[in-house]
Amino acid sequence: MSELLSIRFMRNVLLAGVLVALGLAPLSIYVVLRRIVFVGAAVAEISSAGVALAVLFNFEPFAAALVLTIATFLLFSRAADSPRLPLEALIGMLYAGGSAAAVLLIVKAPRGEGDILNVLFGNILTVPTALLWLMLAVFAIVSAIQYLAAKEFLIVAYDPDMARAMGIRVDRWNTIFYVAMGVAVAVAIRGVGALLTFALLVAPGAAALCFAESMAAGFAIATGLGLAATVVGIVLSYSMDLPTGPAIVAILTAAFAVSYCWAALRRA
Amino acid sequence: MPNELLRMRGVTLGYGSSRILDRLDFAVERGDFLGVMGPNGSGKTTLLRAILGLLRPQAGSIEFPSADGAPPRFGYVPQRERLDPHFPLSALEVAVMGRFGKMGAMRRARRADYEIARECLARCRMQRFAGRPYRELSGGQQQRVLIARALAGEPDALLLDEPTNGMDLEAERAVMELLQDLQRERGTTIVFVTHLLSAIEHFARRVALITRDGSIASGAKENMLAPDSLARAYAEEQE
Repeated sequence: MSELLSIRFMRNVLLAGVLVALGLAPLSIYVVLRRIVFVGAAVAEISSAGVALAVLFNFEPFAAALVLTIATFLLFSRAADSPRLPLEALIGMLYAGGSAAAVLLIVKAPRGEGDILNVLFGNILTVPTALLWLMLAVFAIVSAIQYLAAKEFLIVAYDPDMARAMGIRVDRWNTIFYVAMGVAVAVAIRGVGALLTFALLVAPGAAALCFAESMAAGFAIATGLGLAATVVGIVLSYSMDLPTGPAIVAILTAAFAVSYCWAALRRA
Repeated sequence: MPNELLRMRGVTLGYGSSRILDRLDFAVERGDFLGVMGPNGSGKTTLLRAILGLLRPQAGSIEFPSADGAPPRFGYVPQRERLDPHFPLSALEVAVMGRFGKMGAMRRARRADYEIARECLARCRMQRFAGRPYRELSGGQQQRVLIARALAGEPDALLLDEPTNGMDLEAERAVMELLQDLQRERGTTIVFVTHLLSAIEHFARRVALITRDGSIASGAKENMLAPDSLARAYAEEQE
């Protein structure tokens, strides 16, 4: 570990991993409970379509991806409470549409395949220092919102009728939740890629919900587990010369598998 | 009427272009223990949603005859099957939700809120279960926690949607006796929707009967449970 910390770029890797784990792991509780686990995959495709669009028309790729990601989450917030269509149908359509748009746009772009690949499989090993600062700022703000609006996020997800009866604006808090998540996901994808972002948006929450007997415990376990899996994955990838993102995802998957089996045995 | 908590005048309720309840004239009195019954799909829950302000009338008006005309504080107890069992909530975490409407935006529950939630759990004889996972409680215990949650908001009236659905007779009686105690000791107005005649027969003071044609009749229990009244309401179902 000390050897790892003595290398400057590995310190950046560790910092990026810690930031993204702290930013996304608490959100993963709501991602699982709201049944929107494939939102990360759909948004990655939308982001890549945004990058392709930017390359084609000479915009800043990250700005285009960010705008499209936030717009997508705004759409989710409108559809979250729809009695007509389950949200997962919209997520599926955005995944398919985003993938197709990215391919169709990139075919017509003079360059950009590398940029798209960077969005989809962005590398935690190459996070620039400026992006680390952006991640720090964005995840700090998102975490603060999640902490302060904990009761609103809980009641609108758990019992929206009760929330409305108490005068809590369900549509407004859904929008705040999805926009906060959209910004966090856009920055995370840019920093560490879609695969790791997707895994951190699902695995910590799913594993924690196998153990937790209160929401407070759920958030604590998800955050601790996401953080621990990320650090262990980075250390393992360094010591065993493995690709870092997939190593973290493998640890997260193993943590979820153990949690799931433990919960199943406890119920038996 | 000075004793009325709310009055509906010519209220029509429905979703989209469909009408479920038509031209209702109906009042809930303060301190009432009112059971709302009717055939399946007749609009019992729709009526509750309108009283709560979750559904706007397509026609007519709902009036609140208080001095300032403001709606009373309602404590809502939904059908417990509608709540997602995947949420890892303790009974205390569920009960404290009743305080959320009083806290202001982006303010977290304080010790005083938890104290009130604990008191409400105690009033519902659930204090021993405060730390227990809500989803692991029995149906009757979950219902008591939901009543404690509604009480935590210090309501003028409790509105309950099928509070004894799926319970055995003993649990049903315990929940209904709890509501009866709340009404007697504190004068809390109770409005409950049910399809179970036994709960109405043993506990309600007044009855509102919704018929298949979307109208409503209310009055003293003895009159409303007369065979001809019930036959009118359930006519189609019996055919």
